[in-house]
Amino acid sequence: MQRRDFFKKAITVAGGAVVGSTAADAKETVETVHPVDNRKVSDIAFPQKRPLITYSDRPPLLESPREVFTSALTPNDLFFVRWHMPMIPTYINLNTFHISVNGEVKKKLKLSVETLRKEFEAVEITSVLQCGGNNRSAFHPTPGGIQWGVGAMGCARWKGVKLKDVLAKAGLKKGASWIKFNGLEKPVYTKTDGFVRALELNKVHDEIIIAYEMNGEALPYLNGYPVRLILPGFYSDSWIKMLSNITVTSEKPQLHFMDHAYRVPDNDCECETPDNLAPKTKPIEEMNVNSLIGYPVSGTKVKKGAELVVRGVAFDGGSGIEKVHISTNGGHTWEEAKLDDGTQGNYAYRTFIYPFKPEQTGLLSIMSRATNHKGEIQPFAHEVKWNHGGYKFNGIDEVTVEVVA
Amino acid sequence: MKRLLLALLLLQALLFASDVNKGIKMPYMEFPMKPGKGMYSTKGKCNMCHSWGYTINQGLQSKKFWREKVIKMIEVFHAPIKQKDVDEVVEYLYTNYGNGKEE
Repeated sequence: MQRRDFFKKAITVAGGAVVGSTAADAKETVETVHPVDNRKVSDIAFPQKRPLITYSDRPPLLESPREVFTSALTPNDLFFVRWHMPMIPTYINLNTFHISVNGEVKKKLKLSVETLRKEFEAVEITSVLQCGGNNRSAFHPTPGGIQWGVGAMGCARWKGVKLKDVLAKAGLKKGASWIKFNGLEKPVYTKTDGFVRALELNKVHDEIIIAYEMNGEALPYLNGYPVRLILPGFYSDSWIKMLSNITVTSEKPQLHFMDHAYRVPDNDCECETPDNLAPKTKPIEEMNVNSLIGYPVSGTKVKKGAELVVRGVAFDGGSGIEKVHISTNGGHTWEEAKLDDGTQGNYAYRTFIYPFKPEQTGLLSIMSRATNHKGEIQPFAHEVKWNHGGYKFNGIDEVTVEVVA
Repeated sequence: MKRLLLALLLLQALLFASDVNKGIKMPYMEFPMKPGKGMYSTKGKCNMCHSWGYTINQGLQSKKFWREKVIKMIEVFHAPIKQKDVDEVVEYLYTNYGNGKEE
């Protein structure tokens, strides 16, 4: 190898996922396309993680490769990571760590993880966690934000305590109407707003929990050790990591990350055009219906006449998945896939399998399309309408394999 | 011998426990910059708060986009970028990570 080639290669590898150089970005279209797929995982693994697709090391932004999405639960060391602030504690002492509960409460609380474990009822819920900008690279013109492929999501079994129980212990004052949550991630400059999420008190329900376990283990640091907020059905910007403070307020707080970021047009299609941005917007909150094929991935070679088992996951914001359909002819006809028993609940992945025998050699497209219990159905990727943040993409998934003799 | 083995096992258990409790060490990753006018100045300003990967993984963008981002960094996130330096940073970003469009 020429010395220059060697450096070229080294540079590409170190960068992990530099989207500026991909062919998909060079071509400007006004249509939504499929998100950029199968980017290379990094050579460098982050702590408690296997090597993942890496967009940034500070703050860490890591995406799971497509192959991960064949199982109902995403292993902790393969689970995606997205932080907003550059300063994240890399050591937490459980003897001194606590969550403060304050504001419009009758009794201020300081809760250690041990207190959460010992003094509150433990509850468990399996829920998908997905970044609102997952699949953002599908949108053209390119919206600002990390150009995620398909893997800024995962599903885990979360164990912790009900938010409701914690609020009840503190006691709410009359007039309490909003709750602010923030964690230990910090900006570089003290006057910068922290990453804070607020929730209306009347939206609190039994399944919103403060979790201290993820898939039966302590949460990885990069997924919010020692505790994070679990808001099943909502996009992950609401799921505050390293949760350290809960403040009850009487007024709606002004917050950059809720008032300006993570918003979509407040109209029926949640859409707009670059020349005509929607005047009114709303927080992204509830996830829409989606599915992803985990096996096979694009480029896989399969044998003509041999059984091929397509595997993947489907989910939505909590109504639950009713059906998943598969097309092997570009979306002309659809066959029903077999779903798992659904016992993990409506916030969890519903895994699907679809065995079939490819009968012609050459390139073969495989598509998955989920329908939820509300009757909502995934649109084709090119039918997904644009929004300036590149949020909530849920186009029908597609992989292309090569059938060989 | 038995006692030694037990001691070693205990030691190993202690070491493992302290591994879990001592936190994590974040890796540093190099995201290469395209060389060009304003590179060092831009690198210094962006990298004060976040990695270069965070910048370039925004996709290829218009000049207006990069200008708005730099201004947002100053106004929302309080990045200490002086007004006189904004043009140079925007020019570097647009020249090297632009989509060829002014707006």
